[in-house]
Amino acid sequence: MMSDNRNSSGRSLISSILNPKFIMVYATVGIFLVIYLFGVVAYGSKGFTTLRTFTNLFVDNAYYGISAVGMTMVLITGGIDLSVGAVASLTGMFIAYGTAVLGLNPWVCIAFSLVVGVGLGLLMGWVIHYLNVPPFITTLTGMFLARGVCALISRESIEIKNETIDALASWKLYFMYLKDGEWTRIRPSAFVNFNVILFLVVLAVGIYLLQRTRFGRNIYAIGGNEQSAKLMGLPVGRTKVLVYGFNGLCSVLAGIAYALYVKSGWNLSLQGAELDVITCAVIGGTLLTGGEGYMIGTLFGVLLKSMIPALITFNGNLLSWWGKIATGLLLLLFICIQKIVVSSTERRNSKSKKAAKNKA
Amino acid sequence: MKQRLNLSVLMRSKVTWAVVAEVLILIVCLIVRPDFFSISYQPSTGMLYGNLIDIVNRSSEITIIAMGMTLVIALGGTDLSVGALVAVAGAIALKFLRWDVTVYNTPGDYTVYPFFLVLVVPLLVCIVMGLFNGFLIARWDMQPIIATLILMVCGRGIAQILTNGKQFTTGYSPFRVIGQGSFLFLPMPIIITAVVVILVSLFVRKTAFGTFVESVGINRKASRLSGINAQLIIFIVFALTGFLSGISGLIYSSRIMSNDSNNAGLNFEMDAILAVVIGGTSMTGGKFSLLGTVLGSIIIRTIVTLVYYFGIASEATMAFKAVIIAVVIVLQSEPVRNYFSKRAASRAKLANGGVK
Repeated sequence: MMSDNRNSSGRSLISSILNPKFIMVYATVGIFLVIYLFGVVAYGSKGFTTLRTFTNLFVDNAYYGISAVGMTMVLITGGIDLSVGAVASLTGMFIAYGTAVLGLNPWVCIAFSLVVGVGLGLLMGWVIHYLNVPPFITTLTGMFLARGVCALISRESIEIKNETIDALASWKLYFMYLKDGEWTRIRPSAFVNFNVILFLVVLAVGIYLLQRTRFGRNIYAIGGNEQSAKLMGLPVGRTKVLVYGFNGLCSVLAGIAYALYVKSGWNLSLQGAELDVITCAVIGGTLLTGGEGYMIGTLFGVLLKSMIPALITFNGNLLSWWGKIATGLLLLLFICIQKIVVSSTERRNSKSKKAAKNKA
Repeated sequence: MKQRLNLSVLMRSKVTWAVVAEVLILIVCLIVRPDFFSISYQPSTGMLYGNLIDIVNRSSEITIIAMGMTLVIALGGTDLSVGALVAVAGAIALKFLRWDVTVYNTPGDYTVYPFFLVLVVPLLVCIVMGLFNGFLIARWDMQPIIATLILMVCGRGIAQILTNGKQFTTGYSPFRVIGQGSFLFLPMPIIITAVVVILVSLFVRKTAFGTFVESVGINRKASRLSGINAQLIIFIVFALTGFLSGISGLIYSSRIMSNDSNNAGLNFEMDAILAVVIGGTSMTGGKFSLLGTVLGSIIIRTIVTLVYYFGIASEATMAFKAVIIAVVIVLQSEPVRNYFSKRAASRAKLANGGVK
């Protein structure tokens, strides 16, 4: 969380933490804490406070998180990508069909998925930038294409039975503590698996790319104002194409994580996931108009969104449909906060401008 | 020379490409199935049957929604909630028809609440939901995608909770007429669609409303300054889209005589937006073409029908849909259209010996 605050080397750490541009991230973190506290108070006796509940938020939603990292980048450029769910599903299909039916090495399948996913992403980026087709339509077509190919491969759910995949899926890193000179698992046992590590790595790469590289700065510049970015001589076309390519990569990795999670490939899996991913990013404070958003916000957006089903499970009496309604309400709440924040900063800006004018 | 110039104008028009695409797809259909265009009369149901009628019939849900979507897109927005509203309308209608489902399980030719309530309440609820979208967008200045994303996420949840997660079926015959009945030898949905298209076109083109919509879509601030009540326009457009989604939902649930909160209207928002874009309305807002939208919707349905003829699984039609849509969209894209119209113009110049 600190890493993206430190880039303002001239100012002190505290003033950069209090920078109003992070206010949406703080809102997300704040609401996450409030809902978490609510869970602790309401279901603490049922085991909500355990580390296991917390790590399970990651374990059960790592694939959303991986995809949300790429989506955040796309949204910051002012674009949108509706193909992520379908590409992830296609990846699962490739792995399942390749290993179970064709008997290929899973690494070959994964490599093939990477080529297809990144290729599709780059192609969509190219069409969006150079043919000037709206991102919504381009990626919608990409989604139809990927879903259609999924169904062409197989309409049945294919189980993945492969040693490598099994090993990857069942690999777990338990949280331990030292007791009488021996490492023991904490109770109830909490663990992170390959998916969580993958998510954290992708997240770290996302933070690095966005905050520490020229590429990241170009992304913010394009989202802020594409025309100005072009006039400044920034490589707008290349950056946009690469962003969609990176998002394709994230979709494939999400697909791998999902395949490891459910250990099967199905052509209708992850339907509507693209909008869940976008919801995560928006809850995390990314503006769909582009130019604003942070990976840390997205991380908490994913955690917040995954907390809702967890709470419903802990409650035990509610229909799972309430989860959808709660997600919608959460979205509404966040947009309201965004609205208030944006309008108040605008007011402050115009006030300070007026004050400057009066002084002059 | 005049003819040549017209050609360049035609090349520039997006609707032209939509027509070309539809004709090409129909020709392919004709090659695959020589009897594709044949239409027969079935005296027992009093309806005409044939592929062309079936295409128009099956495209009606999307066409109706796409009418509203055209206006929404002309405003520079998108409405993602329409599919969820279709599910909500179906759920409410079936709830009113089958309020007694806990007592009597078998569906019959009866309704618990009066039939007009079955029709009016879902439509009213959809209008209210559309107004909710409009409120968020007009009053709170939200981006349409996000504002409507809320109802898209919530809507299916609401539909499920209304029906307690169950699927009701009914056998009430007046309700069946909406989706399966016929009028003037044509299936009822076609008639409803025609009425909707005509009414919306009249409302938009015979009053200043369409111009207002285009103006708000091009520059909201400027149109407000020139005295257009932009907020009211947005409210009306979104309420209308909600209302049309409701009609579409009634047709959908009447076709299956049931509610299906999971699958009713699934991906309708996507299909409707595609129909609008194929029809030549730009996603950036401004000018729109209702006729183009109707054509776009029919193109989508024709592709699906064509793919069925090749005996390919229904889910896989998406891939073919994607390929054909990609071709249409690339042909419609600005650089390609400019290239063609430039070529047409330079040819016109050459034909006139290089004289202007």
